[in-house]
Amino acid sequence: MNTPKSLARPLAQRVAGLADPRQPAAATPDLPASVIEAATSALDRGETHYTDRPGIPEFRAWVADHLRERFNVSVDPAEVTITCGSTEARYVCMTLLAEAGGSVLCPGDSGPIRGALHLVGASVVDSIQDGISLLYITPDVYRETSVELLQRAEETDWWIVYDLSFAKTDPPFHPAQNPKLASRVITINSLSDQLAGWRLGWMAGSEMALRLRAGKQAITICTTAVSQWAGLEWLRSAE
Amino acid sequence: MTIQANPNIPDEVRAVAADGTQLRYALMGMARAMDNVIALGRGDPDLDTPPHIVAAAKAAIRAGRSGPTPVKGMEELRAAIAEHMHEVNGLPVAADNVMVTTGGQEGLFLAIQALIDPGDEILVPDPRYSSYDDAISRAGGVMVSVPTNRDDAFNLEAEAVEAAITPASKALLIVTPSNPTAGIVTEDRLRAIADVAIRHNLIIIVDEIYGKIVYPPWRHFSIGSLPGMAERTITLDAFSKTYAMTGWRCGYAAAPADVIDAMARIKQVTTGPVATVSQWAGLAAISGPQDCVADYLKIYSERRAVLLDGLDRMGFAYGEPRGGLFVWADCSATGIHATELSYLLLKEGRVLVFPGTAFGERWREYVRITMLEPIDTLREAVERMLPVLARYGL
Repeated sequence: MNTPKSLARPLAQRVAGLADPRQPAAATPDLPASVIEAATSALDRGETHYTDRPGIPEFRAWVADHLRERFNVSVDPAEVTITCGSTEARYVCMTLLAEAGGSVLCPGDSGPIRGALHLVGASVVDSIQDGISLLYITPDVYRETSVELLQRAEETDWWIVYDLSFAKTDPPFHPAQNPKLASRVITINSLSDQLAGWRLGWMAGSEMALRLRAGKQAITICTTAVSQWAGLEWLRSAE
Repeated sequence: MTIQANPNIPDEVRAVAADGTQLRYALMGMARAMDNVIALGRGDPDLDTPPHIVAAAKAAIRAGRSGPTPVKGMEELRAAIAEHMHEVNGLPVAADNVMVTTGGQEGLFLAIQALIDPGDEILVPDPRYSSYDDAISRAGGVMVSVPTNRDDAFNLEAEAVEAAITPASKALLIVTPSNPTAGIVTEDRLRAIADVAIRHNLIIIVDEIYGKIVYPPWRHFSIGSLPGMAERTITLDAFSKTYAMTGWRCGYAAAPADVIDAMARIKQVTTGPVATVSQWAGLAAISGPQDCVADYLKIYSERRAVLLDGLDRMGFAYGEPRGGLFVWADCSATGIHATELSYLLLKEGRVLVFPGTAFGERWREYVRITMLEPIDTLREAVERMLPVLARYGL
């Protein structure tokens, strides 16, 4: 059997700028018994259909409660969308908040967003300049740098993505604590360290929340049902 | 037929009437807020995922086999899919030609991102599943409609494809069986379309997600199996409809190896690998007993007969639904715009159907009705719709 190696026409030009996929991490932590029970029970209940497109209501409510309790940030559960890992959340945010030909300001590690921005046609910069539409920050960015950039954000119309995915612990600081910025801040997080392989993340908040939800729906419709139930139990049991 | 100035039509419907996807979501949201609605709108099979598939997923969870996989998917699943697509669909593919996707919709998104540059034209049969619009526009592509019609059971004509080709044409999207029309593209037509594709150097993206739900005597045929087509065809499929697995979000694509590599690069930075538990479920589905597929087809066949009988009683015409889970019904006899009719059937009959305008601007005389409820419920839906139509003079 001659299997096809190459397409009869050239691939899209955007493909050339993307790296080959990484190999997955070799080891994964054991699952708590309660998570295994939650996942298998969900399957026994027949949780094998599409969920609500933005995610199961219990999970979205947990995210909203968590943001309020941990950061004193108010987000309606309707502004929360459960995603296929934080990768999908970042991509959706970049597609809607970064502009082709424009720039995203990233004072820290830009690795997690470079691929998505390549697809969008936007670039990453690490200092303030013209053409910025989005500030992407993570908790590991030196606090004074973040404060300075967020003060500048108050004077602009930048959107702000605050990505907690790589933080080992939740920091006390959150840019949406500033009421002048809150409507422009999207929080991203994931369970990739705890539930690797289950593909769970979320994005929450901002005036853009419903459009972000629609952006996710357009790609994967909803996030895997059993993963959502497993993740919810993990989060509850970790509290 | 235009949207009448009917005060019954709420702003939340009118405001999104031009956006097919949002129109569907708006109607579903309204239906959720009502009691006792029979939902014949979205394409989520009511049947359960077969027990042996659920059991395989549970076994994987309990055995700790839920860790992350390569972005293309588990090797054993890719190999099983390749074997299946070779044996069942006749595609000349091996594991290197296959990747696992987060449902069929993501497969289309990845394929278009991998193939379409800004300004490239992609030919799409009309009517269409409106989620294609987003995938095409994200890539900067230009969608060009290729008409199909009821008299031809919404089969796709090679002549219509060829007439739509321009120097900017790069790809043709084929959906067979079709969502929303339930038409299939027959083997003779696919052979003619393949000739057109080779002559004009077109790439074919074929969505076969309903390919195992085809009503005899009709049968599914894969264009990628034809001579000269393997190097220009991306075949998309998913477990969602065949095995009632929508919530698992697991699909697959078969294509030349360089396309699969490209789609994987894109998937790495957009969604990452498919949930591992879903992949184990998918492996059980494709390599396990297939009795469930025949059983489900029998159930859908019986429902289809009930629904068509009901449409006959309503005075609705339709193209023969040859595959898939829908009936695409011509409601022009009512004289009511499909968006308005859908709303009236929901509000006054508590039956949710989708207006044709959610699948293309010109389909204001059609509604899409799913057969994803038990037979008795479908019968009740018909009984609910009849008096609503009678009130409006039909």
